[in-house]
Amino acid sequence: MAERTGEPLMSVRGLRKAFGRFLALSGVDLDVWPGEVRAIIGPNGAGKTTLINVLGGQLAGDTGDVKLRGRRLNGYYPHQMAALGVGRTFQISSTFRRMTVYENMLTAHNSASRHWFSLSARRLRAMRDAVMADLERIELSHLADQPVEDISHGDRKRLEFGMVLATQPQLLLLDEPTAGMGLHERHDLIDLVLREVRQRSLTLIFVEHDIDVVFKAADTITVMALGRVFAEGLPAEIAANADVQEIYLGGR
Amino acid sequence: MTERDATMAGAVASQATALRDPYRIHWRLTALVVAVTAVALLTLPPLVVFTLTEVMIFALFASGLNLLLSYSGIVSFGHALYFGIAAYGMAIAIARFGWPMWLGILLGPFTSALFALVFGFLCVQLTAIYAAMLTLACAEVVYAVVFQWFDFTGGDSGISGYVPSMLGLSPGVYGVVVLGVVTAGMLFLWRVVHSPLGLTIRAVGQNPARAAAIGHGRKRVQLIAFVLSGFVCGIAGTLFGVFQGNVFPDYVGVLITVDGLVMVLLGGLYSFAAGIYGALLYKVLDNLISHYFQYWQLVIGLILMAVILLSPSGISGMVQRLLSLGRGGRDG
Repeated sequence: MAERTGEPLMSVRGLRKAFGRFLALSGVDLDVWPGEVRAIIGPNGAGKTTLINVLGGQLAGDTGDVKLRGRRLNGYYPHQMAALGVGRTFQISSTFRRMTVYENMLTAHNSASRHWFSLSARRLRAMRDAVMADLERIELSHLADQPVEDISHGDRKRLEFGMVLATQPQLLLLDEPTAGMGLHERHDLIDLVLREVRQRSLTLIFVEHDIDVVFKAADTITVMALGRVFAEGLPAEIAANADVQEIYLGGR
Repeated sequence: MTERDATMAGAVASQATALRDPYRIHWRLTALVVAVTAVALLTLPPLVVFTLTEVMIFALFASGLNLLLSYSGIVSFGHALYFGIAAYGMAIAIARFGWPMWLGILLGPFTSALFALVFGFLCVQLTAIYAAMLTLACAEVVYAVVFQWFDFTGGDSGISGYVPSMLGLSPGVYGVVVLGVVTAGMLFLWRVVHSPLGLTIRAVGQNPARAAAIGHGRKRVQLIAFVLSGFVCGIAGTLFGVFQGNVFPDYVGVLITVDGLVMVLLGGLYSFAAGIYGALLYKVLDNLISHYFQYWQLVIGLILMAVILLSPSGISGMVQRLLSLGRGGRDG
């Protein structure tokens, strides 16, 4: 695990978010250090996805602070978060359906290039090798010319992760990266994620239901329940925590 | 043909195009179409030439609208505004403010771009059907103003005589002028769609949440698309105003909006050439059938229903499939 030196990369204090009368987040405190792989687990309705959505800018918190490297980001929009190096994937895979696999990856490169408003087709052509290299890295180059609509769910999740990587983030927010995937695909994807995270020394926050995946990948685990942090610790500590076993692991 | 077949054909076609550089301008095809059209314009009788000229003008208008419909994710129910207001900008500059004719003509498209900037800014604050309703409301407001501000816009009798119809040229020669401008406009649109900006616009149009998560703010990108679309539709409107030598409130009215929408749907949503195919079919049917049959719009309606039910990708989808069959599909 990464050393906890200096200040946290992302720091959350007293974060609350209500939908009407339902309190999805009721005062979340969270610190994630650079280079850490942090899993967020918890029963349905614990507020995991809401938390990820606030961290990614998809939702604005009601009260409380979200800080990235000490900078307050309350109310930032997703594209502003992306510009600050926060990349995310969604629970339901989110790609550009009427584009090919190649074009999807090209779009990510195009966005990262900061020349997205250019009218020069040469800029697009010039990205070809880098795009193909990134597709190679996520093992999708053989599907480059396939419309995304035609590829499998697992490949789409893989593509989405690859696109996020291409935008050169420092912090990755993955909301159930392996949801709906088969056992085999699931471990392949998580291996890919861990490999890339370590190679690029990224920080990763991910929500996951598959306990095997969580214990395999996470440096630290945060357990959420009823909109707040219920427990936090090393995987061994969490596995040994009787309260956690009761609410979540079912006496495992 | 099923949707599955269409996707397969699309996949084969896209494989072929990826190898052949999808961003290049098809100069030889463009030159061929332009040459054939020019010869037709200069040799065929005036009635046909008028129809062809109208087809070209509306092809550009529909293609400008198509930039929004197929790529940016905005549905505009008021796009005649950006067509007609260009003609008004030109007519008012010349007739009311005494601008030289050429300057007035140049002003036309920029009038549309300015209106698109203002109304577009309002419309992109909303999404989906709410944005679409606002585009309609904006167009209705402008229509009402144009219709009622008699002293300035001429009210329902419009403005005429500000420029000689077709610049005083023969129908064929004016047709060639239109051909040149429309070709330039289409090449500009092609350049936009097949550029980093075009890719950004498509990304935002297809999946705003994903686009935002990789760094594209929706509003600014959609506003750029809106202004570009308005500008191109303004070029078409200016050509139309010069063609007719007058301008009426109908130019910004809902019928022209619907014409544009129908053309894009006929031509095929999500296809670059939708506006060309759609305008050609629609205007030719309009000019042919309306001579013999009072209820030609009934025919158009039936054709539109048939296209939507049988080939949701419109005429361009059919053409794509035919072309890929011709190349010997790889689906065995």
